Amino acid sequence: MAGRRILITGIASYLGTELARRLEQDPDVEYVAGLDTRKPKATLERTEFIEADIRNPVIARLIAPTRVDTIVHNQIVRRPAAERISPRAAHDINVIGSLQLLAACEKAESVRAIVIRGSAGIYGAEPGAPQFFSEDMARLYPLRTRFQRDVGEIENLFETYRRRHPHVTCTMLRYQPTIGPTQDTQVTRYLSMPLVPTHLGYDPRLQWVHERDAIEAFVAAVKNPVRGAVNVAAPGTIGLTKMIRRAGKVPLPLAAPLFPTITTAGRRLGLVDFSPDFRRVLRYGRAVDTKRLVEEVGYEPQFDAVAAVEDYVATHRGRQMVSPLRGAVVR
Amino acid sequence: MNAPPRRTATRPRPTPGTFPPPPAVGGHRPQTEGPSLWPAISFLRRVREGMAGGQDPVSALAGAGLALPSDARRSLDQVARRLSGLYPEDEWGFDEEFAEAAMPFMEFLYKRWWRVHVEGELNVPSHGRALLVGNHAGSLFPWDAFMIGTGILEEHPLPRFARFLVVNWAFELPWVSIAIRKFGGVPASPYNAIRLLEQDELVGVFPEGVKGTGKDFRDRYRLQRFGRGGFVEIALRTGSPIVPVAVVGSEEIYPKLAESRALARLTGAPFFPITPTFPLLGPLGTIPLPSRWRIEFCDPIDTSGYGPDAAGDRTLVFELSERVRETIQEKLYENLVKRGAAFP
Repeated sequence: MAGRRILITGIASYLGTELARRLEQDPDVEYVAGLDTRKPKATLERTEFIEADIRNPVIARLIAPTRVDTIVHNQIVRRPAAERISPRAAHDINVIGSLQLLAACEKAESVRAIVIRGSAGIYGAEPGAPQFFSEDMARLYPLRTRFQRDVGEIENLFETYRRRHPHVTCTMLRYQPTIGPTQDTQVTRYLSMPLVPTHLGYDPRLQWVHERDAIEAFVAAVKNPVRGAVNVAAPGTIGLTKMIRRAGKVPLPLAAPLFPTITTAGRRLGLVDFSPDFRRVLRYGRAVDTKRLVEEVGYEPQFDAVAAVEDYVATHRGRQMVSPLRGAVVR
Repeated sequence: MNAPPRRTATRPRPTPGTFPPPPAVGGHRPQTEGPSLWPAISFLRRVREGMAGGQDPVSALAGAGLALPSDARRSLDQVARRLSGLYPEDEWGFDEEFAEAAMPFMEFLYKRWWRVHVEGELNVPSHGRALLVGNHAGSLFPWDAFMIGTGILEEHPLPRFARFLVVNWAFELPWVSIAIRKFGGVPASPYNAIRLLEQDELVGVFPEGVKGTGKDFRDRYRLQRFGRGGFVEIALRTGSPIVPVAVVGSEEIYPKLAESRALARLTGAPFFPITPTFPLLGPLGTIPLPSRWRIEFCDPIDTSGYGPDAAGDRTLVFELSERVRETIQEKLYENLVKRGAAFP
């Protein structure tokens, strides 16, 4: 599809900026716009920056004249504490922002596709769960945390929109948490702690997505939007103990009932920042099935779960960064 | 709805004649597997080998003693490797090295404690997907899964690990959940079973579930309801042969005389058994009684002829489920007679 016109919300985030940079270089993309309250940290060449708050209904009037055919919704707050946003504001950005964006889409008749960067957090982390969630298993368990309920509501909003507008393709990308040598994420913060807190007696299976795969999968989904939800993750899993040992870290096992209390106290001291979702993942683990990403979107992640962790570890030990090819081959 | 024509075991089954006859003592698994993770076990193995090789006890001991430092170094190497996170672990958390390291203990239980006798091990396919369906017992801790797995490793000419579906509650428990995963267990969800079978694994299920383990001692060897026949649906969908497994001996290891509702509620357990020794003797009560065991792997039931859509055919599912149940019940009675007294 040539002459694509694309608008990205939350462009100031790392992934938003990187996505814009990749789309700018694409000859098939005619126009890129970015919407956010703050400017992207990196300079972008031909991306038009629209300074607006996604919660404000004014965005409908700003989006319509751009005549975009694809909207990439990337403004979903995953870690309010790290981004210094209050939980209530985060909820507003997530839910009210999505609502305003959809209202704007109704006005902009040119829109043919919406790609949302959602979260695999909607599956939760449960002890007896399917060990690999596929896209149709989102509602097996109750939504337990605030973020999960936000994601659930966002998914409902887009699902309703998709039903009312059958000509618009809605892709809900369910991302596992990101890990990588350059990005600052919940996982990298966790692994950079001097003592890594774990739940005493639990060794969950974990699954992240490498930052490079996160961007490439995003680009692939924007170029080839498919209907419905798509899991984005590194294939395979890595055990928590194995990950900590590979990273050369010292675990700090805490009795499960004390874990929330201690980590909350740690947050007050500015030591740790664990969202309730992440705490549950650290206890029970979560992995998703990436068949749809590979077969329908057509993107095969280069780093499996172990390689993604090892790429992070290699850089943080001061060694040279492994090339993506080596990272995929060498375990 | 037209039921597809009944087909019984069209899959070529390995006949006993295709393999060399089993040796009179012990299984096919070579007794001398080289050094173990445990230096003490390597030492004993070397002494035994030396004695079998015609050495006198003193020189056998001396030879094994000389090998001790290298054995110790090797096991230290392995421990160091594990501590740096370099150990195998598949996407389910199954750690083959860990399972191998626990083998001496399992072998002790298998050979000495319960003196397990296995029949029909050649009915377990040596490769490709297959679903083992067994009767479930052992109120306090269901050792039957471990013994079925060890039986295949010990007796089968092409040994392979069986992956068992484990009650979800166990995955909430600290340490227990780690151990189960490392031994290859997965939460009992049909999605997990289907994925494992699609990966051509050998999967073990106990359709009775906690109804089987939680039944009273007086109901021993009486099969409980086989769930909703979900295991048949899984087999049909993936075209896996079903191998019914009858286990005799597992009912006597922790005879459940009564249960405590209050303690079950307190611990969140599906049931809390009271046996003659547990919880009376505390941790000592968890030592299973040394009953004599027999495990029989029955003729496989081929399901590939029905096609994956047959999983939606309720009648067929119940019919196959009932057939498997009857086979196991019949073989249970047969093996009970063959075994005789539980504690000789």
